[in-house]
Amino acid sequence: MFPFSKKKNNSNPNDEPEKVTIYKEIDKNEEYTKKIFSADINKDFTFRTLTANYCQKKTYIFFYSSIVNSEKIYNGIVRPLLEADGKTINNIITIESLTEIKSFDKVFDQINSGKAVVFIDGETTAYSVDVADFQARKVGKAENERSVKGPKEAFTESIGVNVSLLRKRFHNQKLIAQTMLVGSRSKLEVSVMYVSDLVDQEILRNLQKRIESLSVDNISTIELLEQYLEERPYSLFPTILYTERPDYAAQFIEDGYIVLIMDNSSAALILPATFWSFFHSPEDRYSRFLFGNFTRLLRMLAFAITILSSATYIAVTNFHSEMIPPDLLLSITSARERVPIPLFLEVIIMEIAFELIRESGLRIPNPLGPTIGIVGALIIGQAAVEAGIISPIIVIVAALSGLTSFSIANTSLNHSVRISRFLFIISASLFGMLSLVGALVLWVFYMSSVKSFGVSYFAPLSPKYKSTGDMYFRNIIKHEFWRPGQVNPTDKTKKNPNNKGDSTNEKNKFKS
Amino acid sequence: MKKTSLKARELFAILTITVGFKLADTTASNYAQEGKNAFWLMPIVSFLIMIPSLLLLMYLLKKYKNKNLIQLIKKILGKHVGLFVSLIIFLVAYSLLIVDARNYADQIKILYFPESPTPIIQMIFLIVIFYGAKRGLQSIGTSTYITLPYLKISIILLALLIAQSIVWLRIFPIFGDGLGVLLLEGARRGSIFADLFIVTIAYTAFSNSKAFSKGLIFGSLFSWIEITIFFLLYTTVFDYNSIDKRAFLFHDITQYVNFGVFFTNVETFFMVFWLGAAFLRFIILIYLVSWILGETLNLDEFEPLIFPLTFFVFPLSLIAENTITNELSFRNNLFTIATPIFIFMPILLWIVAKSKGELKKI
Repeated sequence: MFPFSKKKNNSNPNDEPEKVTIYKEIDKNEEYTKKIFSADINKDFTFRTLTANYCQKKTYIFFYSSIVNSEKIYNGIVRPLLEADGKTINNIITIESLTEIKSFDKVFDQINSGKAVVFIDGETTAYSVDVADFQARKVGKAENERSVKGPKEAFTESIGVNVSLLRKRFHNQKLIAQTMLVGSRSKLEVSVMYVSDLVDQEILRNLQKRIESLSVDNISTIELLEQYLEERPYSLFPTILYTERPDYAAQFIEDGYIVLIMDNSSAALILPATFWSFFHSPEDRYSRFLFGNFTRLLRMLAFAITILSSATYIAVTNFHSEMIPPDLLLSITSARERVPIPLFLEVIIMEIAFELIRESGLRIPNPLGPTIGIVGALIIGQAAVEAGIISPIIVIVAALSGLTSFSIANTSLNHSVRISRFLFIISASLFGMLSLVGALVLWVFYMSSVKSFGVSYFAPLSPKYKSTGDMYFRNIIKHEFWRPGQVNPTDKTKKNPNNKGDSTNEKNKFKS
Repeated sequence: MKKTSLKARELFAILTITVGFKLADTTASNYAQEGKNAFWLMPIVSFLIMIPSLLLLMYLLKKYKNKNLIQLIKKILGKHVGLFVSLIIFLVAYSLLIVDARNYADQIKILYFPESPTPIIQMIFLIVIFYGAKRGLQSIGTSTYITLPYLKISIILLALLIAQSIVWLRIFPIFGDGLGVLLLEGARRGSIFADLFIVTIAYTAFSNSKAFSKGLIFGSLFSWIEITIFFLLYTTVFDYNSIDKRAFLFHDITQYVNFGVFFTNVETFFMVFWLGAAFLRFIILIYLVSWILGETLNLDEFEPLIFPLTFFVFPLSLIAENTITNELSFRNNLFTIATPIFIFMPILLWIVAKSKGELKKI
């Protein structure tokens, strides 16, 4: 629509070296590279000069010393060049990856991403050797999505390690780890992982287009990428699943979902996501049928309590007090006798206090950790009640709704639920149950209109798709025959329904 | 209208909410005015008198593939007559919605918010309805289906709890004031099933016509049985003496039940689900009515109509001086007027289509 402004946007000063091809004269190459990388002030930009043994020509090696493995450089590049004899460089440098490059923009990209680039006098081709060694944490335990039964490994801040953690769980040649670049100033790799003969090509293309069309200088972590990719940034509900557990991500991969992984983030993104994927926890599947579903039941209860308990309390006591049994009503009234402020304010004060304790508990330096618990419990539980600011019943109600919110393990949905709670409290204080139910209806309507990469939020419950039926409750593992139909997997059958995939006959032998 | 991925189950839910929900509003007391203790037999008559026309309409829709109710009317009756008939359908559907909206607002006010003015309650009601309807048909179908189990569980719970107050002999005399009255008055109120006709405006939006037929058949049968069972329940609980003196039979029986000896006043518990269903019902109806008007006026986009149509419910529903006029005069008369319209419309369509010879061609 605006051809001129568009052009302007595209012309980035960084794009300048694109046109420059590699010179034949090695000194020119050296000079140009050094200039671009400001070699005189850039401390960790390193180069080495030597004369290659095999062709007796002057050779330069450029790299960032801070992000490469120096041992690899010595054993893999320097020593062979000095000592080995052969016809071409391919026979000399025997490290796994050796790429030929023709232009300088590639040279810079390669050096920036931890490779060493070799220039040889008289050649218009440079060679990039993968010696990258970015510092990263070791594989640790999952801290935010803990489980009692099940693997404990978590993703770490290295793309290579993360891909390896996923490949470890799904041994198949069709598991693709496609690499895409994001960012125009700092180009970082995003690994798009999927099983190529399961994934829905339309969703995959849509995702690839979205990633390609990002025009932004730098997206350094997956948490930022999530916000660039999602459809409705203002929405109350998350549409991309964020998890730090490789086992959970692997479960999704084998069902035909797509997983995104990046350096610098100890988590993966899974898409498309539905309400159910946020609601479930990987442990539900690891536990036996009955135990897992019992946990689900508890979580549902917690979900209802956390969004509705405070709001219902306000609505019932303020507008429908005839509903409360007389004995209970009396005890509520006598507890509130000394409290001067209205009930709505009381609840809001407590809820906000709880959120504050929770927030400061997260941010507080570790050594001070226990203090917050003591101060919080003392002030809220004891002092406020004794001072007559709030009634003890409110402490119970707010603590209940606050504590149960932790059982929604997923960090994204947890926030949605906590914010919704305040919406319901406010609506309940307007017109009691009338406005509370109205708000609830609108909330459900809003949720059911949310889509993640074209998949409805409540699928496969409605709209219906063939699936394992893993929604409110899960099925027996042996009876999971179909892949979730909402993501339109190419191979819909997980297991032949006629063959239960178990050894029933063998088991029956022991029955009699 | 774009196709949605709605299937039979969503239509079933939509019909159970729009039609089946009549068991819980003042329709019951409207019936009881005439039928006395035999009023539970009247929905059977009402349903039976509507069903041939409904089946005929479904037959026509199937014949003329990919046409919804209004498109079908226009195709068969031509541009001008079609427009006229469509407008009548719209007016009837909209009027039914308006009197119902007032009726519901009055129920909420009288039973739970005696000190709040009706207009304010009406306003809150309409605001929720507007924002709900704005979300579109897919959302309506999904949300209705998701909430349906909770609403039905509450209803079943109520039926179980009230079971101890039932005296079966109260159904006698089996025909109440006489079979003639039942047949005539039952037939006159056939339009409580008018929503079955209105919903055919969404015929083309469902994933396929088979799903629609399936949803319509099961949805209407289920609602019909549900209504009849609950009317029977009211009869056996209240007997002939008091049945026609009660205004809100559903809310009355919620006052009779209790959860053990501790929770004795649980009517608000049932009211929550009742309210949820009421919101859903009007969201569905306002969406369908807007659609009918949009299609009648040949608009490409009918969703902008939702706002004005919802807005005008407010002043129009407040025309009735009080709830008695609204209920006994407006609503009652509208039932009588609407019934023949919905009965004869499909017959008229069929006769014209037949005489044009279009049925054989397709």
